[in-house]
Amino acid sequence: MRRRTSPVITASIAVLASALLLAGCASSGADGSDAVEPAASEPQTVQLLAHDSFVVSDDLITALKEDTGITLEIISGSDAGTMVAGAVLAAGNPTGDVMFGVDNTLLSRALEADVFEPYESPELTSVVPALRADTAEGRVTPIDFGDVCINIHDAAFTDIDAPSTLDDLIDPTYRDMLVVEDPGTSSPGLAFLLATIARYGDGWTDYWAALRDNDVKVAASWTDAYFGEFSGGGEGTRPIVVSYATSPPAEIVYAEEPKPEAPSTSVMADGCYRQVEYAGVLAGARNPEGARAVIDWLLSEGVQSDVPMSMFVFPAREGIALPAVFTDFVPTIDSPLQLPPDDVAAGIAGWLAEWGAVMGR
Amino acid sequence: MTPTLPGWLRWSWLPPGAFLLVFLVYPLAVLAVTVTSDSGGGVISTLASPTLWQVTGLAAGQAAASTVVALLVGLPLANVVSRYRFRGRAFAQALVTVPFVLPTVVVALAFRSLLGDGVPQGLVLVVMAHAYVNLAVVARIVGAQWAQHSGDYESVARTLGASRWRAFVDVTLPSLRPAIAASAAVVFVFSFTSLGIVLLLGDPTTRTLESQILRQTSVLLDFPGAAATALVQLVIVSTVLLLGAAASRRSATRRSRPPALRPLPSSVSGRAAVRITAVIGALIVLAPVAALVASSLRSSRGWTLSWWTSLGSVDAGTTRLSPPSEAITTSLAYAALTALIAAGVGGLAAIASLTSGRSRIIAVLALIPLGVSAATLGLGTLLAFGRPPMDLRATGLLIPLAHALVAVPLVIAVVAPSLRSTDTRMSAVAATLGARPTRAFWTTYGPVLRIVMVAAAALAGAVSLGEFGAATFLGRAAAPTVPVQIVRLLGRPGEQSLGVAAVLAVVLVVMTLLLVMLVDRWATPLRRTTAQENPA
Amino acid sequence: MTPSRLDLQALALGYEGRAFMRGIDLRVDASEIVAILGPSGSGKSTLLSAIAGVVPPLDGRILIDGRDVTRAPIHERDVGLIFQEPLLFPHLDVASNIAYGLRRHGQTRKAAHLRATELLEWLGLGGYERRRVNELSGGQAQRVALARALAPRPAVLCLDEPFSALDADLRQRLAVEVSAMLRESGVAAIHVTHDPTEARTVADRVIELSALGEAL
Repeated sequence: MRRRTSPVITASIAVLASALLLAGCASSGADGSDAVEPAASEPQTVQLLAHDSFVVSDDLITALKEDTGITLEIISGSDAGTMVAGAVLAAGNPTGDVMFGVDNTLLSRALEADVFEPYESPELTSVVPALRADTAEGRVTPIDFGDVCINIHDAAFTDIDAPSTLDDLIDPTYRDMLVVEDPGTSSPGLAFLLATIARYGDGWTDYWAALRDNDVKVAASWTDAYFGEFSGGGEGTRPIVVSYATSPPAEIVYAEEPKPEAPSTSVMADGCYRQVEYAGVLAGARNPEGARAVIDWLLSEGVQSDVPMSMFVFPAREGIALPAVFTDFVPTIDSPLQLPPDDVAAGIAGWLAEWGAVMGR
Repeated sequence: MTPTLPGWLRWSWLPPGAFLLVFLVYPLAVLAVTVTSDSGGGVISTLASPTLWQVTGLAAGQAAASTVVALLVGLPLANVVSRYRFRGRAFAQALVTVPFVLPTVVVALAFRSLLGDGVPQGLVLVVMAHAYVNLAVVARIVGAQWAQHSGDYESVARTLGASRWRAFVDVTLPSLRPAIAASAAVVFVFSFTSLGIVLLLGDPTTRTLESQILRQTSVLLDFPGAAATALVQLVIVSTVLLLGAAASRRSATRRSRPPALRPLPSSVSGRAAVRITAVIGALIVLAPVAALVASSLRSSRGWTLSWWTSLGSVDAGTTRLSPPSEAITTSLAYAALTALIAAGVGGLAAIASLTSGRSRIIAVLALIPLGVSAATLGLGTLLAFGRPPMDLRATGLLIPLAHALVAVPLVIAVVAPSLRSTDTRMSAVAATLGARPTRAFWTTYGPVLRIVMVAAAALAGAVSLGEFGAATFLGRAAAPTVPVQIVRLLGRPGEQSLGVAAVLAVVLVVMTLLLVMLVDRWATPLRRTTAQENPA
Repeated sequence: MTPSRLDLQALALGYEGRAFMRGIDLRVDASEIVAILGPSGSGKSTLLSAIAGVVPPLDGRILIDGRDVTRAPIHERDVGLIFQEPLLFPHLDVASNIAYGLRRHGQTRKAAHLRATELLEWLGLGGYERRRVNELSGGQAQRVALARALAPRPAVLCLDEPFSALDADLRQRLAVEVSAMLRESGVAAIHVTHDPTEARTVADRVIELSALGEAL
């Protein structure tokens, strides 16, 4: 007959329970942080879809877990285009919860397919004013931006002036010096093409015909262009290349010891095309709440400060201190070129075909 | 149905038929529907897009060039390896087959290692790689027919005053025409639908419809356009294969005679010519592989094992990639699943071909996947099973299913001949001894099947290991297969990426060759077991 | 009068759907060997196939030991088949080959193998139980095939040119040996051949195929 549980056992359970509770509270407050979110601290996993250039420091991921209990599972391994194509196909039934890495050339397609669920992050108020409204009616959140610009190998321009505008590139002075990437296979290549379309409108094909007459070289990928053809990046012979505004600092960071004081390359401020990268909660995600928390995290000070040295892009958040290599060697691009995402989506196939026709490829 | 076959055999066509219907016909149907689902512009405008036909022209030109080069190099090899008896001939014949079984991504990387500095990416490099892979196709198909060709006709022509060259052109070549047509069709289709080699060794002049499908899917996100491209390619490839089959029909009737090997020519120059051809052939086959192995062991600081030891680690740098060792286990897992599925489906289809009547057709229908390109299969499977209502992504079966489709024709090609060459009278004998039809069937075909099915499964596994096109579409982003991983590594700068890619390629070569040796050893079982071959 | 072991009544035979002979009447008694003579391709094999049940006759009846087996499946007919090639099962050793029929008829492995050993002794191949079939010479293999066919004591044995794969003097020797064995075993044997000498050596009766029935 065991109708009444022994009082001793009841008491022991009570003591154990309280001890555990106390221990739980203690550990979440142990790091000294004041910002403990009681509602979100149950352990959960959030799957983040990203392209394979997404890099963020491990301690930030650990911090996310400690602050919110979220274990971040990063699913990457393809380029942005393939990633978005997969998301479009899976719209409504996504393989992850949140996606990072849609840029303004792919955005329209993703929006058309209703890939995202609207979310307005509280962190948006801290975003740079120019980007604050760039959310496609609340469906995506800007996380970082960068510029695709012409890079110049300074050593080649001691006797003549370096080019300073897009128009200079078709000048015979700079014949046989430029290498660009195929816009059909390379993201910066596409961005440069879009820049010329934004600048020259319907006359862009004439501009490219002139570039062709000026013996421009087309490489298949950024890697081939920068490390294979560009004299400032490797063994190439051409001193002008389409690359990123942050390539000069990257040059220093990735150089072998002893690191140089200044980069051998500089950036042409005219003709840059702005690329913005967005993140969004995937419609139909299993853990939309966790996804939202991750977007907040992406915009947090910690991640935004990490972004320059991890991915060589600029943080969307205001007031982030940039590392010295950035402030010293990256010029401010005041008026970068940009095309509305809808125009890009509608015109891209035709533009690529026309470009191929002009360039004889 | 002859009385000696068990009744259930009548239904053996059903599982392969169902498999083909669900995993081949349905995805192709989805592709066709996708073409018409375009939001802007109709079917006509998609099909009339100038880019589509421009790329078709480029691909056709490149394929024609590849075919010509393959024939030019392959014909002398066919002559030497299939007709003359000399020491090391069996080894030479096996060697010639090696490039064909290597994954295309590996071949591309091998050529880059060998010629990458000297020859720029483009048509020349691509054509050379295509010819390299298809040497065996030409050498074996043409060689088999050449070996049955008696030299008497040429002798007659010579006595009538023709020079040796004239005799060759007027007498030998025409008689080889069926085999040349058949092998040319195969090489053309292979080169026309090339993906891995064109991506890694080519430039915009070597675009194929296959690479166009990839571009339309991942860059332009234009699914209707991609589907249209896939279907146009399917029609073109099927036409070429049918033409090739028609042109080669003449040779089909003369297969029964075993090839007669002749001794080396009596003249010194004749012997020298044969030997030199064999040696050059061996060099051509081995040089790229050697270059590949070398680049897996080289770095800017000389010879090193560091690429091999870094298989288990991740190098973040500016891109994130999973450890290469994970890619190897992923590939092996897919290969095992593929082997199971393909062996089951293909085995049943081969057994069905034993019956007379309509069930036989399944063995022919199961050859259709040969004409469907990898990207077409990948895209079709993705559109059909990569999203609701039938979403199989979570099962991890998408890649094995696509790979199994590719492998089933090869399984049938290995199993069916062995089954057909089994004497059917043996099952009559077993029946007279009291065995019921099913028992008689297993007594007759069981021993053959046991051995040949292992060989077929190994072949299916080898196909899966090296497959690139479908895996690009269907892979889970975080767990790529080895060929996909190699291509990704090659897209990153730095010698570590190149070194690790070479290591993965070498690993792939070793695994593939091991499996193929298994196939070769076990695909021709139990041939000399009858007393016929022993003198009384 | 004991009934014949094999009785063909008004049998009609066809090949690939076309009839080539009808009105075939033939009776073979126990321990009797009948040789059917005819050139290659004349339909001798089709006759044997019909008797064994491999192909159905176009018309007529087949009776074995008084039973009408015209519609019976092969494994219920009690007929043995020997071909030009021994067609021994390659995955089984010699004894297992011989034991095969006995096992199908329900005997235990032990009993069947015992009988196989007896038969091998009778054939002069004692000690060959564990040999692989590909180690046998042509004559040996054909003898094993015979033992295999006779082990389950069939009523009728059909032999389709059993010696033509062997060389001349082995042929002669084996012909004599085999017919003696057949008579001893009590089967009704039909021996089909194109060689008249062999026919005369082996058989009690020699019949031309064309004389068996009405050619069409």
